[in-house]
Amino acid sequence: MLAIDAVSVTKVYKGATKPALEAVSLKVESGKVFTLLGRNGAGKTTFVRMCATQLAPTSGTIRVLGYDVARQAREIRDLISVVPQEGRPLRALTPWDHVYNWLQIRGESRQVAKEKTESILRKLELYDARDRPAMNLSGGMKQKVLVAMAMAAEAQLLFLDEPTIGLDPVSRRQVWSAINDWKSRGQSILLTTHYMDEAEMLSDYVVIVDNGKTLAQGTIQELRKVIPQNIRVDISADGTDQESLRTYGSVVDTGTGMLRVFTYESAARDLSDFALKRNLSFNVSPVTLDDVFVYLVGRSIDKTDSNGADRNGTG
Amino acid sequence: MALARHDSILPLRQAFLIAYVTGILWLRRNPISLVFTAISPFSLLFVLYVVSGGVYTHLAVAGSLVMALVGYGLALGQDISFYKTEYKIQDIFVASPVSPLTYMMGLALSELLFGLPALLVLASLVIYFGAPIASIPFLAATILLTWGSMSAMGFFLSSHMLHMRNATQVISFVNVILAVLPPVFYSVTIVPEALKPLVYALPTTHASLMLQYIMEQPTPPEWSPAFGFAVQFAYLIGFIALAKTKALWRET
Repeated sequence: MLAIDAVSVTKVYKGATKPALEAVSLKVESGKVFTLLGRNGAGKTTFVRMCATQLAPTSGTIRVLGYDVARQAREIRDLISVVPQEGRPLRALTPWDHVYNWLQIRGESRQVAKEKTESILRKLELYDARDRPAMNLSGGMKQKVLVAMAMAAEAQLLFLDEPTIGLDPVSRRQVWSAINDWKSRGQSILLTTHYMDEAEMLSDYVVIVDNGKTLAQGTIQELRKVIPQNIRVDISADGTDQESLRTYGSVVDTGTGMLRVFTYESAARDLSDFALKRNLSFNVSPVTLDDVFVYLVGRSIDKTDSNGADRNGTG
Repeated sequence: MALARHDSILPLRQAFLIAYVTGILWLRRNPISLVFTAISPFSLLFVLYVVSGGVYTHLAVAGSLVMALVGYGLALGQDISFYKTEYKIQDIFVASPVSPLTYMMGLALSELLFGLPALLVLASLVIYFGAPIASIPFLAATILLTWGSMSAMGFFLSSHMLHMRNATQVISFVNVILAVLPPVFYSVTIVPEALKPLVYALPTTHASLMLQYIMEQPTPPEWSPAFGFAVQFAYLIGFIALAKTKALWRET
């Protein structure tokens, strides 16, 4: 069974002149981590909120775990769990209060709620801060409290809308580890992110969205093939020029003092020799998701336009 | 997994847990906030008592209790807006096995908890100023009807608010319409005849009259406790139906 089956989904907010999401069709397989990757305002949050029964689509159909979001929201709500974008825990409540009581509200017995709360708080390294009110937690710890609430529920489908935003590198890895544990149990995740490394690290399948439309989708390997050349060589711009490098492949100025050449393996060897002879620093690596994104969208994910954010979120 | 057992969960248990989390746990860590919410309903009572030299005490007590109930009921709307727009907590509840009415009931119980000290004092004053012990069930029914209908109205209004500031403004406005302008703190007998149908259409007029009746104060001949209860009950059912069917749980 598909975790999500969206067919030609469009969302136009009241008073908006253009759709936040336009004719999007996606199929999310069960037991996979499915990632929506895009800049702020691309339409990621809108899609997640419609699938999570928080927002009604303008047109099109979405089935979540076999149920129609428009007519069978109650059935879906039993089976899902969410981390909303820009959510915050309640100031006076502790991580333990949040997770333990949330599990009971969802129907767990006290004993099971206690065991699950302890387990997830330890997993996300919140256990030592379990009795500290949220107002005294760091931004990253607050975010992890919401992740802990969602994950502890052990729903069939988990929606994580930018779950690691604001987290330090260690905390991000803790969340990634929890996500991988989740996946290993055969549960499904719809993740939104604008972190390339996160998408590459976690995703079974990635959809790149921009301006409310899907630009490409596939596994990381499949998406890398979007760019005809499979190797990139970053080479110091100090001592060479774009014209000289064009004989090896297509050249992009990264703006960081390096020129990036997309090329093939054989030409990459020649280019390495070229750099060595001129004593230029260089770095050879396979094409990354970031390269694919720039290739498709025309700019880096970090460069957000001012009109990007929609009214219900930034993605 | 909890979800398979969802059908066996009583929404009442969920509501009490929500009230526990947002009310009791909050108060345990911020007991001082109880003082603030408990004192505010007595401000007009104090002014009227001092200004009238005690003549309007019965009306002031009735009015203060009604105003407190309107305030605590509508404050639910502010709480809900706050949880929705500032914390995004409502997003988590929407995408869960908690129904909107359960969520509303949980937060309304929590609000009631904050208002309990003031309500107990005001209810005691109603008894002290003339209500016989036998009328306590009527007093309790009046309190529950007013609190219930105002909570449902607060929930309905807040669900349509996109920003916290809108919620505060609209709820303050409704508070004036329901608790200040109608004959809640003053006698309905001084209302011009032409306006009487209007004031009798408001639940708070009847709540105040009911409290005056319970305190054995004179009430107008065209009004009866049955009439008062009927109007208040109709409002309760109407607002709950409105909250259930028209409150914006899933956004459009």
